[in-house]
This record gives sequence, C-alpha cells and structure tokens, in this order.
Amino acid sequence: MLNLLAVKDQVDRMVRDRRVVQGDYESRLALALEELERQSVDWPGLGAKVDVSRTSWLLPAICESPTRTYPRPPRPHQISIAATDGSQIFPDRHEVAACFLINIGYVLLHYGTGEKPLMNSIPSLYYGDAQEDWEGHRIYPNRDSVGLRRTTMEFTEVAELAVAAQQEGHQVVALADGTLILWSLEGKPQELRELVLEAHLRAFEQLRRNRIPVAGYISKSGGRDLTNALRLGLCPLEAPDCDRCPWREGAIEPGDAELPCGAIGGIDDGILLRQSLTVGQRTPAFASRSKILEAYGDHHVWFFYVHVGREIARVEVPQWVAEDDQLLDLVHACACDQAEKGNGYPVALSEAHEQAIVRGRDRERFYALVEESLVRGDLGAGLSTKSASKRTAVV
Amino acid sequence: MTANQVSSPLSRFRREPAGNGASVAAGDHVGEVIESETTKFTAQARELNGAPSFGCLVQVDGEPVTLGLVFNASTQSMEANRRPVAYGKTVEELRREQPQIFELLRTEFTALVVGYIQGGIAAHMIPPQPAPIHGFVQRCSDAAIRQFTAGDDFVRTILGAAGVPTDELLIATLKQAIAAHSGAGDYLVRIGKELSRLLSDDYDRLHSLIRRLSQ
Repeated sequence: MLNLLAVKDQVDRMVRDRRVVQGDYESRLALALEELERQSVDWPGLGAKVDVSRTSWLLPAICESPTRTYPRPPRPHQISIAATDGSQIFPDRHEVAACFLINIGYVLLHYGTGEKPLMNSIPSLYYGDAQEDWEGHRIYPNRDSVGLRRTTMEFTEVAELAVAAQQEGHQVVALADGTLILWSLEGKPQELRELVLEAHLRAFEQLRRNRIPVAGYISKSGGRDLTNALRLGLCPLEAPDCDRCPWREGAIEPGDAELPCGAIGGIDDGILLRQSLTVGQRTPAFASRSKILEAYGDHHVWFFYVHVGREIARVEVPQWVAEDDQLLDLVHACACDQAEKGNGYPVALSEAHEQAIVRGRDRERFYALVEESLVRGDLGAGLSTKSASKRTAVV
Repeated sequence: MTANQVSSPLSRFRREPAGNGASVAAGDHVGEVIESETTKFTAQARELNGAPSFGCLVQVDGEPVTLGLVFNASTQSMEANRRPVAYGKTVEELRREQPQIFELLRTEFTALVVGYIQGGIAAHMIPPQPAPIHGFVQRCSDAAIRQFTAGDDFVRTILGAAGVPTDELLIATLKQAIAAHSGAGDYLVRIGKELSRLLSDDYDRLHSLIRRLSQ
C-alpha cells in the first residue's frame, strides 16, 4: 500500500524546487531563441564545430540552417496509413503456466476512398522451448528480452502490413510509435543486440525496396539535440571537449548555470521550437549522431520537428526518406494530417494502441482461461504460494 | 475490399469472418443473437445502422425457430469508455477521412418473442427455450408474415407485453401484416374488429390506433 501522507512532503519539496528552476525560465528561453537566430547565420560553422567536439550530450549533424522552415505540404487525396503497436503478458513464474504472450495491434486506415479500414490484433503465445527460441538463438525470456521481442515484432509487422497494403494497390505510409533509434539496446547482451538490430534493418530494407516511407512519431520527446548544438555554440572554445572543460573539473552535465554552456539549461527542442515554428511547419531534417546508428548503414536515422498544433512532435525517418523530397513531404503531410484527425496525436497510432493493449483484466482472464484449459486437459494447474497469497489476502 | 479474402496479401492481418463461411457468404442474415431470454432477445446487426425496421417480424435459426418483433434498435460505441463525438462532417466525409469511427460503432436491435415455428407450424406462444446465442436472425418472408398474422393472437400478445412501446409496435406490425396480405380490405376489417373487442374499454386509444393505422 502506498502511504500518500508520507510521500506528500516529498511531493511538496519537488514542486518547490521546480518553481525555483522555473524562475529564470523566461530569460533562458529568450537567450535560446537569440542563439538560434545568431547561430543559424553561420550554420556551416556550427556544423563543423559539432564534428570536432567531444561531448557526452547528443548533437545533431547540421547540414542546413536550423531556422529554415518548411510549410505543411498537401496530403495526397488517397493515402493509406499502416501502424502497429504491441503489448505483452510477461512471463511470471508464479502463475499457472510458464509462458508469455505478445499482442500486436494492426491498423490500416484508407483515406479518400471510403474503404473500410483494417483494425485487428493478433496474439502470439510462447510456451515450452519456444520461449527461449528467437530465430534459432537461445534467449532467456525475462521482461527485458520479451519487451525487446515485442518492439521488434511491432516494427517487422508494420513493414509486412505496409508491403501487403501496397501489393493490394494502396499508396502507403508506415507509422511507428516512438523512436526508430534502438537506445534500449545499450548494455544488452551482444546476441540480443544483433537479433534486434538485424530484424529492424531487414524491415527497413523491405520498406526501402518498396519505396514505402516509414516514420517514428514521438510525442513530448524531450529531445535536446538542437538546444545541445546551441549550447555547444555558446562554448568559447573552438573544439570543446567536456572531459577537459576548464570551467568545471571532470563533470559533464550541461545543467550548471555557472558554465558558459549552462546559460540555456532546462530548455528542450520542443519548448524552443514552439516559439519559432507555426502550426504545420517543420524544421529541416537533421541526422542523429547517436552511436548505435553506426550499425544502421543506409538506414541511418534522421529527425525533424513539426508543429502539429497541440505540441511540437519529433518525427524520425531513415536516411533514404530524409534525402528523398517526395517521401519526406509525404511523411510531413501525413504526420500533420494524422495528428489533426487524432486531436493532437496520430489517430492510426492511438487506434493501434487500443487494438494492442492488454489490460489487467485481460491478463486475469487469460490466466483464468489457461487454468481452465489445463484442468479440462487433466493437467495440474498449480499456483505458487506467492501468487495464491496475492489472490486471497487475509487479515 | 478484396474479392477473395483467403489469398490476398492482407488476409493474414484481417479478423476471421464470423460463423461458417457458407451462411456468411449468403449474406441474408440481418443480425446475430448476443443476449437471449424467454421473452426477448438482442442481436448485433450485421451492418452498421442495418437493424430491421421497427415492428419487423424476424426469426432466429434453431429448433424450433423463434419468432420476434423488433421493438428497439440502438447504435453506440463498442467500448464503454469511448463515446462518439460531433465532428461537424457528413457521413460520407467521415467515411473518407475518419474511417476508423465506423469500426468502433455497432448497431443492436431487440425483439419481443411472439411465437415459434415447429414442424412448419407457427405457434403464438413463448417457445420452450430462449433463442440460441449466436443464432442468425433473418427477416421473415411475406409468406411467413401472412401465416403468423392470419389469426389475431399476435395482437393480444403485443397488447399484453411489458417494456415495449405497445401502440407504436402494434401499428408497425399491423402495417407490415396488411402489406403482406396485399392490402386486402377484409383483413383490415377483421383486425379492426378484434382491436375493438380488445380495447372496448378505451375508446380513445382504439380511435387513435385505427386513425394512425389508416395513415
């Protein structure tokens, strides 16, 4: 049981601290906007500085003026949006059966034709030896690996769905919920990293071969690639190396207001661009310099920000989309259209989520079904004493 | 949509069709029973906004065949926490630009159980068992309507039913019956006489019924 009374004081302290930070927020934001204007004048210089600097913060590759904007292009009258989302029932050794389940929600919405959409979910149950078998590799099924397996399936399946839609004569855009950059692979075992990466790259390649643009849509991203570049610009050094920062021994974090780069701390890209983009506009596309992208080859991930009305969304695309004006415009147009239809968030993604979600009640009903089936099959259906005690807590 | 669902590229992503292939392909059922009790049943309409008309005589496949009179239809969201909102667009515009809406709505209709058919004979009595869940609901043919409304027992059944808009249901059913009897004048006269007998103590109600029946 959570003792709310005990945590209240800590919540109050958190709010007080936040108000202190908020204090000079306006002046930091104004400075950030000034820097954006100033540094966009010599953006090749900033881009070059990014290349020679060593920071632990993520910086984008800059090959265009960061203040350049692109207006919202018209959406093709007929277009189909393919989206997937996933959910899971994790393995639980206290439950009646050793198994886990991945549920993938599929959505294919056709616009401009009145054609009925495809909205469905398909669950996959893994039990016995199949739990550890992932494309011939033995991977222990814990929450981490099952979660990764799910996100991999979401991506490979949206590629399959999009290709199938194209084969039936539709022009398709594939949308993914969240980033295309596999941050979560950091620190994972090598075999798992390779499995996940290879599956993603195969799906990217499948989409590229069929010229189907794919985009990752991120709401409230908190991304700081651009503001980090501005902070870099604030550093008086020509080739900053945060490990050897003369203003601060050892420490790397750019939050400290005493550092030259700290003057615009606490401002992320979304907050900044909200002041400079108008609804429908996007920034140029920038290549992300995340280390994991070294393994992506031709599918290196680029990103842009777009004002969808309710917020500044971050949209990520593979290089072959970013470098193709037609595909990039299509992604831009669809991102805006989808967010508009979904009251601020792409309707295809929210519907895919609704198809995929496995709620607590669903989980209970699933285990009840398993238990009932085991009993009917004359097999034992034993709970661990831990699970049994959770179900019937007594005084 | 694709003509051949079995082998199209998207078929593995689609929901499997409900029921056995043959009867769905025939496409003549108008709904499927989702709730059933002795005196009424509720069915989900096969098509959105495709409930049979108010007062329509319907039958549910089974042994015996259950006969019902549709007295209520509703269209609502399939999920309790998601309600329809106004978009300010026509239905055609919504089908083109918000197609997912229509997948999340469903139409249901409820029918008053008024009899059953066993061995080819219609009985104006409550059947021994409620209509089977997942039974297919079909509109009755004109011949079946004629047979069912040949006598006047059904009038008494409707007048005596609880929880239905009685007079409106009676009028709608009678109009259907009259049409099935090819507008035969003597049928209308016979029914009129029966109504007069049953509502002899409520002249105003009888008068209103007859007047609306003639409209």
